[in-house]
Amino acid sequence: MNPFLRLWDWLHEPVPVLRLALIRIAAPLAILGFMAGRLAHADEWIGDQGFRVPDLGGDWRQPLYVPALPAWGAWAIASIMVASGLACALGVKTRWSGLTFAATLAFVAVADRLAAFTVSKMSPAVVIALAVGPAGSRLSWDAWWRRAHGSKLPRKLRPAVSLRFLQLLPVFIYSSSGIAKERGDWLKVPLVLWTQLHDSYQTSLSFFLAEHIPGWAWTLMQGLVLMFEMGAPLWFGWSRTRHLAFLFGVGMHLMIGLMFGPVLWFALLMMAVLIGGYAPLSWLAPIDALADRVERRKRGTVPATTEVTS
Amino acid sequence: MRYVSAVPAGIHPWRARAHAVLAIVGLVYLVGVWLEGAGSTLPGKVLPRTPLYFLQIAALFPHAATASIDYRAEGWVCREHKWREITTRPYFPLDPDDKENRFQRVMHFFRDNRPTMHALDEYLVSHHNAGGHDDGIPADDKIGGIRVLSLRLPLPNPGDALERVHRKPLAEYPDSVRKNWYHSTRALRAERCGSAERDVHDEGAE
Repeated sequence: MNPFLRLWDWLHEPVPVLRLALIRIAAPLAILGFMAGRLAHADEWIGDQGFRVPDLGGDWRQPLYVPALPAWGAWAIASIMVASGLACALGVKTRWSGLTFAATLAFVAVADRLAAFTVSKMSPAVVIALAVGPAGSRLSWDAWWRRAHGSKLPRKLRPAVSLRFLQLLPVFIYSSSGIAKERGDWLKVPLVLWTQLHDSYQTSLSFFLAEHIPGWAWTLMQGLVLMFEMGAPLWFGWSRTRHLAFLFGVGMHLMIGLMFGPVLWFALLMMAVLIGGYAPLSWLAPIDALADRVERRKRGTVPATTEVTS
Repeated sequence: MRYVSAVPAGIHPWRARAHAVLAIVGLVYLVGVWLEGAGSTLPGKVLPRTPLYFLQIAALFPHAATASIDYRAEGWVCREHKWREITTRPYFPLDPDDKENRFQRVMHFFRDNRPTMHALDEYLVSHHNAGGHDDGIPADDKIGGIRVLSLRLPLPNPGDALERVHRKPLAEYPDSVRKNWYHSTRALRAERCGSAERDVHDEGAE
């Protein structure tokens, strides 16, 4: 079979909607957690009360010059971001709340380069994927509303290209990060990880581990991370290694989140995508059962499709 | 078309086409992220800066740190004719205690960009002189300019006695770890301080 058509079929085969719903609940909350400190100072962040980098007329460090907003405009954007982000997490008008949330995220990512990090730049893509897919069709206000107004039970399995996108996203990120690390210092300097532990990202845990873990163990962890990232397409693509790769990825992000202060939110966002995308379905069964109970409460009908089995 | 049959039966053809377009956009995005992170120059050649910026999400920490870097600022105190450390936190309140602070980021990205350093100079001087903030220099002491610098603190080796990272006053660091990046000109400081240029001596900063 033509590989392109195989890919196309894989993209469109029915998948558990619950996976997408879990990412829809967790990812906006992680993103809002990252934004919380910025939102609290919106007038300084994107408004005219704080420092602004002047228009540098095409400098590579300034992807787009956006003039400072008046303070009321900054607070309005902040309010819309919070409201649409929470609405997206709750599944209220998921498509529109998601698209609105993504628009505010994209705006602040370019409006202030100084406070923009990986979360700022990747979150619009994650939220757009949630908004255009069936992420709001289970465990959501939308689902409850539709049931309350006489709709059938939501389908558990649906084609969802957006879930495929979110499953592929970490694999592409790991793979290219692995190549960047291999081209950088990770095969030349044995203590790259160690060197990252001594700046203002340091937490109590990273200090404790720096004090108690010997140098060779940092080199070992460095090797494992490099192997995981460079081999991500294989580890996640091969069914026999997928669960192990999922556990390694979640563990890696957990440690990053605990050891590098503000990187916590990036770690939580990646964990949300990994858990929603790759957690074994047997682990998700209790959540599926909970969703079932909520969905059946309105009417005692039978499910519209088969049980989740794959 | 083949893709139309891959989406649920009964779906409107236009919706099927929209699915197909979104799938292609998603794949292009993923390939762009991969190429950008892996060091390819292709995305930079074919994309404008703004979309390219949104692809720059991979390639985290590819290099070993060579030092722990902290950026600081000093203000030129008109009355004393001296540089004294000015705490930038009141004027950059986001993430005040780590390197995600906006002052740290201005210095990280733009320390060699003169227009940005001039804007920073104007911002810090005007905000200090407006009063109302505890920045380490008394509010009634006007400042005529700034000097911004980095501290490059050596990293320990495994097994060394470690100290938790914490902020110490600038005066406690030796000159050997300091690197000055920008300072207000003598003429500008004299103008702001309302004094003759010849009265402004700055301990060899220029």
